[in-house]
Amino acid sequence: MLIRYLLPILIFLGASSVWASEPAVAAPLSGVGQSVQAKEEHVPKPLTVLLKDFFKTTGIYAIVNPSPEARNGQGEKMTAFAQSWGRIIMFIVVFVLFYLAIVKKFEPLLLLPIGFGGLLANIPVVNMTGPDGFLGIIYNMGIGNEFFPLIIFMGVGAMTDFGPLLSNPKTALLGAAAQFGIFGSLVGAAALSQYTGFVDFTMRQCASISIIGGADGPTSIFIASALSPELLGAIAVAAYSYMALVPVIQPPIMKALTTKEERRIVMPQLRKVNRREKLIFPLLIVVLSAMLLPESTPLIGAFAFGNFAKESGVVERLSHEMQNSLINIVTIFLGLGVGSKLQADKFLVLDTMGILVIGLVAFAVGTAAGVLLAKLMNRFSKEPINPLIGAAGVSAVPMAARVANKVGAEARPGNVLLMHAMGPNVAGVIGSAVAAGVLLSIFN
Amino acid sequence: MEVHLVSESLKFMVLGMGIVFVFLYILVLLMRLQAIIIERYFPDRPSEGAPTSTGESEEEERARVAAIVAAIREYRKTQTKGS
Repeated sequence: MLIRYLLPILIFLGASSVWASEPAVAAPLSGVGQSVQAKEEHVPKPLTVLLKDFFKTTGIYAIVNPSPEARNGQGEKMTAFAQSWGRIIMFIVVFVLFYLAIVKKFEPLLLLPIGFGGLLANIPVVNMTGPDGFLGIIYNMGIGNEFFPLIIFMGVGAMTDFGPLLSNPKTALLGAAAQFGIFGSLVGAAALSQYTGFVDFTMRQCASISIIGGADGPTSIFIASALSPELLGAIAVAAYSYMALVPVIQPPIMKALTTKEERRIVMPQLRKVNRREKLIFPLLIVVLSAMLLPESTPLIGAFAFGNFAKESGVVERLSHEMQNSLINIVTIFLGLGVGSKLQADKFLVLDTMGILVIGLVAFAVGTAAGVLLAKLMNRFSKEPINPLIGAAGVSAVPMAARVANKVGAEARPGNVLLMHAMGPNVAGVIGSAVAAGVLLSIFN
Repeated sequence: MEVHLVSESLKFMVLGMGIVFVFLYILVLLMRLQAIIIERYFPDRPSEGAPTSTGESEEEERARVAAIVAAIREYRKTQTKGS
């Protein structure tokens, strides 16, 4: 019983003793020359003053009374709005992310850590996003230098089976067509900033926004941190949200561009792929990208290494690690690091709205371009091609392939397009890495 | 200096889509070439199989799934003809 009353008092005493030791730390900073001896000097204070001073260090005080002197983790001054309402709005935004991740199961592996990183990034007083803060350290460790996306790509490579692509190579072209989403929306973003006062993006910013159309999270983060780190938070959130929304965004576009007859097309059975073909394939893409586009080799190289380890069949332990522990650990860091970019003063700007709109358009355009090229190929090819598999050319592995399969099965029950759609799907990953390489080579 | 963003981005689009298509088209050609070479000179011998037991069961699994899918498809064909 006694403890129940004593405990709050003890906690309070602990808190005030922390406060009391603060002048000792601050003194050497304020007067270096004069008061080396005076560092242990304690100024006695009445309890009411202690309480008042303590209240001024609370988060409630910081949110209610924005100070013109407050700075964010990067040492820039924050506006009163960003300190007060901005933080509250960001808390609502991260709760929306939690809702999408937990209730709607939208890419929970990323949206949950990103959301939590965003929550921590907006906590007043402590500035966890600064270079010495929890989130700042994570960000500088692997996102600012574009390292984490490559490790993720390695794991994705170790999980990818190129069999469906190797057995029907021409479907790789569908993965190329879908990259029109990137370059089409690049033009869109440029037009939007040139002809409207709504947003004002530079060319680099336009390029990193348009990469959302590649529907590939690691590639988006890789390019954004290379070309416009200030937009990273919004770009990553848009990329992962839209990837999760692939089953909602794609089907209407796919249905609008195809006839019922086309959707009913049955594709011939895939031929069995020789094991050596799978083994040589990763080497093939590395050599090809090294010859044509060395800027894309970080992404493609990491991807190919993961795939090579898997297909070699002799380093089961390494490939298992890349597919599991390694990619999981890096996903945690990647999510928290990206979340650190959800600071109110950086995220709550008109640019974010522009990014969300352009990203959505990029997704839609990429899907449409893939479907249209697949229709064209179906006209001229000896073997029938169901245009729906073109939509899987946007990366978003394996969600986009599953969507193609589902829409196909709606038109003709029992028609299994999944393996046929996996071809363009994995080609889309290579395609967006190549597109990323082109953008990097333009700006570097 | 005023940079015309739209015309710049159009140039990027032509370059980017061009490179992406060239890259993947060359990849298609190389995939076909290697398939031809490997099929002719290094075909998978049935005795050779996959080196690990998991690989073998995966192959079997795939063959079984393919057989089931084919059977279902045939069945549905006869069903639709009949009705």
